[in-house]
This record gives sequence, structure tokens and C-alpha cells, in this order.
Amino acid sequence: MSWTVAGVELQSRLLLGTSHYPSLQALGDAVHACGTEVLTVGLRRLQPEAGGGSSFWQRIQSLGCRVLPNTAGCHSAQEAITLAQMAREIFGTPWIKLEVVGDDYTLQPDPFGTVEAAKALVRDGFAVFAYTSDDLIVAQRLRDAGCAAIMPGAAPIGTGRGPLNPQALMTLRERLPDAVLVVDAGLGRPSHAAQVMEWGFDAVLLNTAVAQAGDPVRMARAFAQGVDAGRGAFEATLMPERQAAQASTPTVGMPFWHAVE
Amino acid sequence: MDISLNGQRVDVDAATLQELLQQRGYEPGAAIACAINQQFVPRAQWAQRELNNGDRIDVVAPITGG
Repeated sequence: MSWTVAGVELQSRLLLGTSHYPSLQALGDAVHACGTEVLTVGLRRLQPEAGGGSSFWQRIQSLGCRVLPNTAGCHSAQEAITLAQMAREIFGTPWIKLEVVGDDYTLQPDPFGTVEAAKALVRDGFAVFAYTSDDLIVAQRLRDAGCAAIMPGAAPIGTGRGPLNPQALMTLRERLPDAVLVVDAGLGRPSHAAQVMEWGFDAVLLNTAVAQAGDPVRMARAFAQGVDAGRGAFEATLMPERQAAQASTPTVGMPFWHAVE
Repeated sequence: MDISLNGQRVDVDAATLQELLQQRGYEPGAAIACAINQQFVPRAQWAQRELNNGDRIDVVAPITGG
């Protein structure tokens, strides 16, 4: 079932990062295995003797996906805005995954800098995919700023621990029913992806869980299946939970019922 | 003229950003973007953008990212 973000219809609800793969070949194979249509990329200082860093970029272009450049590592709104402008020129896309780091140890996003940068970038014509915490009020501010997608973390970046605060994530979905919500960061297992998709999130964004798997290609496929299963369950509507047991097999017509010896 | 290029102090005699990039060996068609003093400088302005003593110049290129 397709979905739409920033005015673009996508078939896959899995967005994939491009770091930490054993090789560019493994990255390419993982992309094909999971059917993702969106890849995140970054920008870093280039020394001329490094040769332009073009082999990676050429490989990414050959995969035929949309790119979602990030502002990873930026510590202020101004840094993120400038890097976003640089990314738009290099990658030729107004899409930007906005990250403003608030704490280097936990990599927790700075909500104030993120909202400030989001407002400026939206005014400048960017489609902002904002990485944020699971805080509802920050998410509301990002929605009000006009972000294309709001992307709460499930757990700290790269930990693979899965949703640490399900209540907060479910509250985001409940309170922002019309926003595009993507769980970004902290997912480690396909079951984590299935879980958040069951809660109604529009998509997930992964990197380490696939790239650092024993077999990234099979793991990419497994995550795609998890995403599909979770989304399918959400659309099918889960049964209501009950406290007490209730027999599945009808009791009417049960043989030996009230049988007297 | 002393400038900072990607965090390193360098002594250059380039008048413009374009000249600096050429002198330092950046390939003309490379997938790079530039900022001076944390302000983005579009590629179309490289040839006109004059450098000043103490400018902090960043040149970035695509890498992997999450």
C-alpha cells in the first residue's frame, strides 16, 4: 500500500541509511533486497587529494533511489541550515533530514535548534524530515513549522534497542493523526519495525540494524517483511485486547457436556 | 593571505573562491559545495566571490549517512 511524503508517492515504507556496510556492493544488494526507494546520505569536508569522494556518490546514483541528505553532526540551527543548502546544491533535491545534535554522548536531538532550523528551511523551500525525540509538544511545533515528516527516535541512534517508550510513540500517532510520522533510529530487529508499524507509523528509517547484521542483504529483506507485516496489521485493525480468557471454539454442542455417569 | 580551509590554516594568494579551489586541486566538476564563514556560497558565485584574510572556508562532498 503506497504512501505519500513531501508530495511524492512511494511504495516502500522502509527508508535506508548508507553507512557501516561491509562494502558498496553489500549496500547495493541490500537496497535491492528490501525494495527501499529512499536512501539517506551525508556531507563531510573533502580534501582534494581524496579524489572527490565520487565513487560512493556514483554508486548511490546508480541505485535509482531518491536521496535524503542529512545534517548529522550539526550542533546549531545555523550549521544545519548551511549544510542543508550545500546538500540541496550537490544532491539536487530539496529533501533534507534535519538533525541538530544536542548532546554528543547520547546523540539526543536539540529540540530548540531543530524547530528553529525547520522553520527557516521550510521558508526556504525545503521538504524537511525532522529527526526529533518522542516529545509530543516538539512534534507539534515541527508539524506547525510545516515539516514534511516528523521522525521520532525509538531509542538512541545505533543502539538497536527498539522502542523504549511505546506510550510516547503511540501518543504521537494518536495526537498527530494527519502528520507523516517516521520512526527513525534505535530499531534493531524486524519485530521492532513491525511493532511501530502496527501502531500506525507511516514508515521507518534504519541503518545500523541492516548494515551491521551478519548478512545485511537477508536482514534488509527481513526488515522489509517486518514493515509490511506491521503495516498490514495496522490497516486490518487489531483485535481488542481482553483481560480474561475466551474460548475460541464454540461451547454450544460440546459433546459430553453435563454428561452423567 | 591567511585563511582556514576545512579547519586547516593555509597561506594563499587566490583572489576568489574559484581560484582557491583550482589552486588547491579540487576538480572543476566534482560533487562539492562550499561555505565561507558558515554561509553557503552557491556554485554560480564561486568565480565572483572574493576572499578576505581570515575567511573560514568549508568544502564538502557526499559520504555515507544514516
